[in-house]
Amino acid sequence: MIFEHEIPDNSKLYFLSSAKQKRKIERIAAEILYDNGFEEIVTPLFSYHQHQSILDDRELIRVNDTMNHNMTLRADSTIDVVRIIDKRLGRNTSHKKWFYIQPVFKYPSTEQYQVGAEFIGQSSLPSVMESAVEIMNALGLNPLVQISNMQIPVILTKMFDLTLDDFRHINIEKFLALDIAWLKKLVYLQNIDELDAILDIVPGDIKIELVKMKDLCSGLTCNNVTLSPLYYSKMLYYDELYFRMIDKNHLFASGGRYKNNGLISVGYAIYTDTLIQTLTKD
Amino acid sequence: MLTVALPKGRIAKETLEIFSKIFGDSFVFDDRKLILQTDKFKFLLVRNQDVATYVYHQAADIGVVGLDTLEEQGLDIIRLLDLRKGVCKVAIGMKKGEKLDLSRPQITVATKMVNITKRYFAERAIAAKIIKLYGSIELAPLVGLADMIVDIVETGTTMKQNGLEVVEEIMESSTYLIANKNSFFEKKSEVLDIYEKIEHIVKNG
Repeated sequence: MIFEHEIPDNSKLYFLSSAKQKRKIERIAAEILYDNGFEEIVTPLFSYHQHQSILDDRELIRVNDTMNHNMTLRADSTIDVVRIIDKRLGRNTSHKKWFYIQPVFKYPSTEQYQVGAEFIGQSSLPSVMESAVEIMNALGLNPLVQISNMQIPVILTKMFDLTLDDFRHINIEKFLALDIAWLKKLVYLQNIDELDAILDIVPGDIKIELVKMKDLCSGLTCNNVTLSPLYYSKMLYYDELYFRMIDKNHLFASGGRYKNNGLISVGYAIYTDTLIQTLTKD
Repeated sequence: MLTVALPKGRIAKETLEIFSKIFGDSFVFDDRKLILQTDKFKFLLVRNQDVATYVYHQAADIGVVGLDTLEEQGLDIIRLLDLRKGVCKVAIGMKKGEKLDLSRPQITVATKMVNITKRYFAERAIAAKIIKLYGSIELAPLVGLADMIVDIVETGTTMKQNGLEVVEEIMESSTYLIANKNSFFEKKSEVLDIYEKIEHIVKNG
């Protein structure tokens, strides 16, 4: 039995101060992103291509079109934004920096409001990441910025008897059991000033990826940064530099470099609901 | 400062003994108190099944809990270290003399651990009707409620005393030191420091 006051589990309802906070976050984000040269895009709620970006396709809410083709509700904005810009709007615009303010939906009834920014055809993460830092600053937030590089776990799985699942679950015991001095240092690595000493002892291909992390850190204006070279994202498409902005148990934003149909781009998503929860509580 | 969630009972006692060995202090909860505050740690005494929940929601940074409970709950936390304590097995038990016949069209299984059981039979393409019970699992086959049970077995005595025997082992379990994912990155040096000290005690006694 469903009562008249009920709303589905994990759907979102904002009113009064929380709705005001949501509007404020989206307004501040839009202003900063426009100032940084981004243009806004709103993509369809229904999509044919979501399975390309969602690791567990059971998270997708499925429907069918008039020809009985499978469609899903948008569960991730990035892939659709990039695909539409690349494949559909190529003749209408050559603009590469885009932002979106729209929710995503996951099975059975989870809604998540997001602000996202994508720089299509760009491989330099600082070019978009700094705008995420600006948005956090403008909201009076100072989350811990975790910098990782998805290439490092991939290289390590080729060197040792390790799987990407070991990195997804951060299987410290297994990493340390390999008893390799430089790998142990990667486990313990936290601050940028510890990195130079490690660069001299790691294999060449790991060094290249660590230098990218170092360069990313030095290009950022925030000072609350931690390095996590052994972190592996659950998202399918991030393939190199990656970041998360965390505060206590909350994830404020995440993003990185990704490849879609051979096209390298960078982008991130800010999780509006988490920000509303944090800012309304404060 | 790290907050540590411990399951009430023997595991909490054994874990606090490890902390005592490491730091040379006495770590003992006052009678009926659920929080023990020290200079470096805040210990929380919670139900075994709630440890991972406290850690997942960051009410605790780290915790100690059985692998069986972690597998059953499937929460996204970091498994830091096998403490090699509370070693037991998750096993299928049937009435003595009965054989596990997986070719039957459907079997009925009584258990506390619904997810582990569901996964085990699903992986073997066996249609299993699972009945969730909260205790006295051994009773189920004896009164015809289920064909078999899936339960924790330490010595096998409880099953034996109730006319059951282990016919198949599903997994081995022991207690694990776990950590919240964000706490791990926010307090990496503190978490890895206690990890190293506990690992030294676990390996060397």
